[in-house]
Amino acid sequence: MSQAELISIVIGGIGTIAIFSFLIKENYFYRIFEHMFIGVAAGIGPILVLRDFLWPQIIEPMLGHTIIAYPDGTFSAEYQPLYLLYVFPMILGMLYYSMYSRKHAWLSKIAIGVSLGASGALAIRGFFAEVIPQIASSFKPILVWRDGMFQGVESVNNLLFVAILFLVLNYFFFTLGRRDSVQSRTASWGRPLLMVCFGAFFGSTVMARLALLVERVQFISRDWITAIAEIARGSL
Amino acid sequence: MRFSHRYVYLLMIAVVAIPIVCGFSTKPARMISAERMYSVVENVSFAEGDIALVWLDFGPNTIAENGAQAEVLLEHLFRRRIPVLLLSQYPLSEGLLKTIPVKVANKLKLEMPEQEWKYGESWINGGYKPGSGNYIQSLVASSDISAFLGRDVLGMPIVHYPAFAKVTGVEKIKLVGEITGLTGVFDTIIQFFQKKGYRPTFVHGCTSITIPEAYIFLDSKQLHGLLEGIAGAAWYGELLQRSFPQSSHKDLLLTNTALGAAQIAIILLIVAGNVVSLYSWSKRRRD
Repeated sequence: MSQAELISIVIGGIGTIAIFSFLIKENYFYRIFEHMFIGVAAGIGPILVLRDFLWPQIIEPMLGHTIIAYPDGTFSAEYQPLYLLYVFPMILGMLYYSMYSRKHAWLSKIAIGVSLGASGALAIRGFFAEVIPQIASSFKPILVWRDGMFQGVESVNNLLFVAILFLVLNYFFFTLGRRDSVQSRTASWGRPLLMVCFGAFFGSTVMARLALLVERVQFISRDWITAIAEIARGSL
Repeated sequence: MRFSHRYVYLLMIAVVAIPIVCGFSTKPARMISAERMYSVVENVSFAEGDIALVWLDFGPNTIAENGAQAEVLLEHLFRRRIPVLLLSQYPLSEGLLKTIPVKVANKLKLEMPEQEWKYGESWINGGYKPGSGNYIQSLVASSDISAFLGRDVLGMPIVHYPAFAKVTGVEKIKLVGEITGLTGVFDTIIQFFQKKGYRPTFVHGCTSITIPEAYIFLDSKQLHGLLEGIAGAAWYGELLQRSFPQSSHKDLLLTNTALGAAQIAIILLIVAGNVVSLYSWSKRRRD
């Protein structure tokens, strides 16, 4: 194990114990590591945007840095002046920062407007691409026949699916609002079904959190202890 | 009756730690959706120049489940010698994009010392890509994916890697894998990673929390295979072991067993809590 790996495992273990110390009670040790995590998580984003996206995909091609000059005086590619068009969306994006000036705050509304328009259009496209196949798949046959044979289990599954879909949709149907109607009476049946769904959600959330605990216990009981033992043996 | 919650935490840690420390593991339960995913990854036909794209959109907060899923999926793709392009929409996955494929490659190298799985041949790391739907839409519309991506995280132009140089249009991406525990991220891939005449095979690894969301896509056949939390990854590992008997997933089985033990403990605690509560209620009523 390299020294860098040893150090990162030891710090990781101390961080894990610090965060788990919250289970005993709120304390400074926990607070320090919580703030450290927030700081690291917030700081890593802008760095990665610059390093992995803005610099190699926008700025370098715009400046022509991706073109290699060979010793015989030729180049790997011709400069594409169209890359300069990136300047316009960049200026548009920079307008967001005008909101910090009272005098020029109105300029930020141009950037916000363009963003909202683009996001809205994307959302509409995404909605149809995602939801239409799901709506189509909800049209299930209640009586399933395959090769002349009645498929009992599949039929019951489909019947349950259609019934639950109908009852839950009906629960969220507020347009008519008549108290004694069939619609309002059947609507209440949707509530227990939703409760079952929330229970399943809660159960799966507990399972995911436990998985995290398992991973951390594995890390502490093996990697961390091994790293500490190596340090004690004088590896660092 | 007052009962400190700290005892419950201590009990849970003990229950989880016992199988891990003792090295006790059980066979995982059969997961149909993981079987579907295995069969899909096994049967997708890849010609020369075709690649798989795997998005690792998770960080330390869901590594317990997503890390195991990423490892088994990459192991399967590496065994099939399918070049993998790794990308991410989540900044905190930056380190995992580097470590997970190396870990899988080292494991395979130990198993088959005469073979190699190298960076640039078996996989490349395209790094973090911001822009979500906008970026994916541009990627899909691009007529030359290698040129669009530009460079990998090492700063090398992607066209310099022979396995990825022939990746021109998006049609060369035959399989798209999305490993994430974030809500809304997989939706974006489904929404935008397609165009007229092109729809790749989608596989997804989700956390236990996002199973209900992911299952809708599986039911509507927008998704072709799903790994449900650690249990899904453990069964996928079992299937890999059946096809490649020398393959070992001991850690994954330990994690799955520890999780199972914790679930049994929680069920027992719920039952015990309700019995005690019922007993107290009936005692109060009698008094």
